[in-house]
Amino acid sequence: MIPAQFDYVAPVTLDEALSLLAEHQDEAKILAGGHSLIPAMKLRFAQPALLVDIGRLKDLAYIREEGGQVRVGAMTTHYQLESSARLREICPLLPECAAAIGDVQVRNKGTIGGSLAHSDPAADWPAAILALDAEMIVVSAVGERAIPASDFFVDMLTTALAPNEILREIRVPLPPPRTGHAYAKLPHPASGFAVVGVAASVTRGADGTCESASVGVTGVSVKAYRARGVELALKGGALGQQEIAGAATHAADGVDLNEDLAASADYRRHLAEVYARRAIERAASRVS
Amino acid sequence: MKIEGTHELRAARERVWQSLVDPSVLQRCIPGCERLEQTGENSYSTILRAGVGSIKGVFQGNVRLEDLRPPAHYRLVVDGKGQPGFLKGAGELELEEMGEGLTVIKYAGDVQVGGTIASVGQRMIQGAAKMMASQFFTALEAEAQTQAGEPPPQHGFFRTALRWLSGLLRRIMRGSK
Amino acid sequence: MAQKYVGQRVKRTEDPRLIKGLGHYVDDIRLPDTLHVSFLRSMYAHARISGVDVSEALKAPGVVAVYTGRDAAEKIGPVPCAAALPDLKVPDHRVLATDRVYFVGHPIAAVVATDRYAARDAVDLITVDYEELPVVVDAEAAALEGSPVIHEHFGDNIAYRLTAGEGDIEAALASADRRLKQRIINQRLAPVAMEPRGVLARYLPGEEELTVWSSTQIPHLLRTQLALMIGMPENKLRVITPEVGGGFGSKLNVYAEEALLGWIAMQLGRPVKWIETRRENMQATIHGRGQVGEIKIGCREDGTLTGLRYNVVADLGAYHQLLTPAIPTLTGLMLSGCYKIPAIQINVTGVFTNKVATDAYRGAGRPEATYVVERALDLVAAELGLDVVEVRRRNFPKPDEFPFKTATGLFYDTGDYEAALDKALANSDYTKLREEQKRAREEGRLVGIGVSTYVEICALGPSQAMPAGGWESATVRIEPTGKVTILTGASPHGQGQETSFAQIAADELGVRIGDVTVIHGDTAIVQYGIGTFGSRATAVGGTAVYIAIERLKEKAHKIAAHILGADASSLAFSEGRYSLTGAQVAAGAEVPEPVVPVAQAPAAALPEPQTEGKRSLTLQDIALAAHLAKELPPDMEPGLSATYFFEPKNFTFPFGTHIAVVEIERDTGEIKFQRYVAVDDCGRVINPMLVDGQIHGGIVQALGQALYEEVVYDEQGQLVTGTLMDYAVPRAKMIPWLELDRTETPTPVNPLGVKGVGEAGTIGATPAIVAAVVDALAPFGVRHLDMPIKPETVWRIVSQQTSGGGR
Ligand SMILES: Cc1cc2nc3c(=O)[nH]c(=O)nc-3n(C[C@H](O)[C@H](O)[C@H](O)COP(=O)(O)OP(=O)(O)OC[C@H]3O[C@@H](n4cnc5c(N)ncnc54)[C@H](O)[C@@H]3O)c2cc1C
Repeated sequence: MIPAQFDYVAPVTLDEALSLLAEHQDEAKILAGGHSLIPAMKLRFAQPALLVDIGRLKDLAYIREEGGQVRVGAMTTHYQLESSARLREICPLLPECAAAIGDVQVRNKGTIGGSLAHSDPAADWPAAILALDAEMIVVSAVGERAIPASDFFVDMLTTALAPNEILREIRVPLPPPRTGHAYAKLPHPASGFAVVGVAASVTRGADGTCESASVGVTGVSVKAYRARGVELALKGGALGQQEIAGAATHAADGVDLNEDLAASADYRRHLAEVYARRAIERAASRVS
Repeated sequence: MKIEGTHELRAARERVWQSLVDPSVLQRCIPGCERLEQTGENSYSTILRAGVGSIKGVFQGNVRLEDLRPPAHYRLVVDGKGQPGFLKGAGELELEEMGEGLTVIKYAGDVQVGGTIASVGQRMIQGAAKMMASQFFTALEAEAQTQAGEPPPQHGFFRTALRWLSGLLRRIMRGSK
Repeated sequence: MAQKYVGQRVKRTEDPRLIKGLGHYVDDIRLPDTLHVSFLRSMYAHARISGVDVSEALKAPGVVAVYTGRDAAEKIGPVPCAAALPDLKVPDHRVLATDRVYFVGHPIAAVVATDRYAARDAVDLITVDYEELPVVVDAEAAALEGSPVIHEHFGDNIAYRLTAGEGDIEAALASADRRLKQRIINQRLAPVAMEPRGVLARYLPGEEELTVWSSTQIPHLLRTQLALMIGMPENKLRVITPEVGGGFGSKLNVYAEEALLGWIAMQLGRPVKWIETRRENMQATIHGRGQVGEIKIGCREDGTLTGLRYNVVADLGAYHQLLTPAIPTLTGLMLSGCYKIPAIQINVTGVFTNKVATDAYRGAGRPEATYVVERALDLVAAELGLDVVEVRRRNFPKPDEFPFKTATGLFYDTGDYEAALDKALANSDYTKLREEQKRAREEGRLVGIGVSTYVEICALGPSQAMPAGGWESATVRIEPTGKVTILTGASPHGQGQETSFAQIAADELGVRIGDVTVIHGDTAIVQYGIGTFGSRATAVGGTAVYIAIERLKEKAHKIAAHILGADASSLAFSEGRYSLTGAQVAAGAEVPEPVVPVAQAPAAALPEPQTEGKRSLTLQDIALAAHLAKELPPDMEPGLSATYFFEPKNFTFPFGTHIAVVEIERDTGEIKFQRYVAVDDCGRVINPMLVDGQIHGGIVQALGQALYEEVVYDEQGQLVTGTLMDYAVPRAKMIPWLELDRTETPTPVNPLGVKGVGEAGTIGATPAIVAAVVDALAPFGVRHLDMPIKPETVWRIVSQQTSGGGR
């Protein structure tokens, strides 16, 4: 449990960090909260030659409202998101999801940017970020680009980030009126990661029916995904128990299911359905 | 651990087969394959930099093709050993012609891992194996589609995939602004 | 004697230093010039090693030496096994693998370097040529003919077979009204002490002295064994056990690394240190449990048992560690539970498998037995449609039947099983719980109530029954300045005996608790002792302290009489002072200050004792007089100290009742606790807070076994649950509120009346929790479930039987 040798730099500006990445490409790794990277390094699964610690880039930790969006700096910790009173009012899915992550120590160190960039198949954030239709702002020495959440998660532990890029900001559109959120998770008994995690955002029309719904699912497959089948089934319909239960049956449609000691593929499929139902019911009940 | 799957390749079976037995093609297609040297008939020694995302390990090992029945079937036997542990696998590949220029490859095999990867990667191994299989077949398809004489496609795996993706995204982004 | 401290919730005196991070664990001990060791361990479960090439590692920066099996194995004796069983096959267990590896984690080479990092880096530079061999993972299959054989020269994998028990089991089963059988599994568990193992060894060539700091539960036994292994005079070897962050039996052992580090320190003449990583801890520190068996039960229509047979295969692992083969024999001893069972038989087949050894883990054989017996009682209740409580009552021996002889050959000291049961029933309001359960079931809710009434064997134990002595030692000294020093041979590592022994001493000597210091875990300071395991430290070690104090007081009494010029019989001891009877000591007088307040003590000389014209003397006065030795009775030894080695005449048998109430989520099979009620009887209680702490921890580990924990090896012998991300140790939020209570039935086995409580929680709770889940699923015809009971298992039962499949 001792990492291989590496060099360490702690730049004080983003540009400095980016030029280091440009120079070293995939020999270098960004270090954020270190709560995914360091464990991997201690097992020698990850052996970066250079660690670029962005912990000193304090201006990457913020929660702002701007341009009809909530903008969250990549270095914002899970705890900062969990404890933001303002977020609880305007985008409650973020604090609810943050609160479901690991334990206090993990939430105090781990960052939303690190979690998204690492893209663990059972991480919590990807489900919420997908359900919120967020946008990732990533920068490199040559410029900046925006990646929609639905394109960001490419495969297991693999995102659309290039080795020379840093995830700078997550932009979440402010939820429209009459929108309810919920995150429902069954934690793995050992790791605390999601055996199944479902984030739901439900918007009711004036008549109380479902105007739109978006549902992000994590833990179930090699990467988090939008449960389009569920969303489609909900759209335009009533949000009664039966309708929701019916829609939730599509929670694991068309995905390759993970299997481990905590849950077989069958059971995971079933849990995805149950937790989707729970998340959607709760989200719907939060809209008057 | 069993892995199995099916891949559809838009290429003729003959060409797919040719690619599948050509060591230089194999080297380009096997994810993270840094070296593939012939050590005998249908057997090779290899250095693999295998893994997913930031999690990687270097394995030294052997690749063997057995029970060749052109152009429909062979058995692939791989073993590798490295710092993170070892991996061993054997699998049957079946190639089926599904009409004009379409080949379906069915694979079914057994992968065994040992050492650190076995004791900590439990929840990820299956997914990682599937991911690497799909990378392999995607690259193979590209190989089989290139006409004889054309320069081989560049894979250099993650990098090419990511470059391609980021290029694509940049294009999309520009288009949307 | 006034009980000012004993029986009180005295806060642990150990805690302030631990909470402030000021304690010293092995890794906190830093010696100049220390080298660090990192191990190369096998990644195969079974392989022949045809070569180990260390040349690259030797060239790596910082590397001082690399040792392989060939270098060390010949020089260091085998890792010992203390269990003596007839015809036991004992494989030659060398400190490093020589030509074969037998389990994942088997050490092959040790790299010694100037820091841990260099050592670890160099491990990656060693190449090993492995030739894989067939792997034996499943314990039952290992026993079958045709299985690959691990230690070839033995011819098979059966380390031993053992049959024990009394009564005619065949007749008992044959004549029973009903016969039941059930497959029973106690899965392998990892002890997961918070602090992993660690060793620091230093050799002083001038003094020819080897000091080994080790995170162990048995410093003296370790010293003896290391002396034998390394071939060094025991009186030149010193084992120091600094702060130990938990053991749970996993450090009741003698490990290869401990001997190897000592030997390396001697080779290199520099201190060497090794701190186990968590992954090594999961792979190479002993596991617990690992029993697969079948029970046969005979009972009458009224629910009383006629006989119990347990055929069990014990998964021993590849080698014997210190007590490996003995653990299942403890299971055999406790198979009567707290019931009258006329005929009992256990048939153990101990088998080798390609895994790390099993050995003592909290409860060590008794949780397995209790689980077997409690499951048996529940099966009988289910079979006969009786309440689980009623079945238990009908099988209890009555209080006047004690000492009670079991068909396993034990004499239970004292017990009042109904009293503990009744208290637990009252505390949980059992009748109401059952009514609520009935209503819940009508509403379609799955609520279950599990009851376990257990008895366990503690205070290990009479030396006749122990492999290496079952006594414990204590020295109690009153220093010239009046401070009290206790040297105990027990080796507390979280149990809090620095506090509880000080409580005993403070009361018996009438001093302040702060004036008592308890020293343990240094073989150069403390007289030989046995150590801490088997819930023995207070019952055996505490008794040694108590009796040493009585001896010391006898001497003090004589000195007091001599100085006061009175007849001993006219002196009485009270509140720390010997007074002439009739002399008035102000009622409630404060405990006297030590005679020499340190701040005012003259630098060079001690003051003369103030004895002139006194009618009473404090112990401090007497201590000083005893050291100055000017006023002692003729022929009396100077000094005020006593040492006692206490040999118990029997084990003790604590007992109790645990009641768990759970509700199952139909949707997902998740198990939620509603209540947890326990009434434990561990005899007299020295410190209720310490007892509660032990029960809490024990229940948590039991809950781990019942619902979460399982060491899993795949069919290739790869350890799949190799980190705490995969191996599920219960977290605080998984623990229900624990409603604890007690009955107190003192034991006559020791003068303190204490029985022991270190393992009770682990023993009593597992069956209660399993029973609760089984009871919740009783409407589905479920009578038994294997541990750990995972939500998926529960969900399959509920969903298949409600709708013929998932929803
Ligand atoms: C005991 C434990 C329990 C946990 N439980 C949970 C849980 O229940 N749910 C859950 O979701 N997670 C859990 N985690 C993971 C935790 O949330 C991590 O903090 C998170 O996944 C990674 O964030 P980090 O800031 O620590 O990133 P790091 O570990 O520093 O980095 C992770 C990866 O992302 C890259 N990276 C980091 N920041 C950036 C950036 N801005 N731009 C580009 N690349 C970047 C790094 O190079 C690295 O490859 C747990 C972790 C631990 C140790």
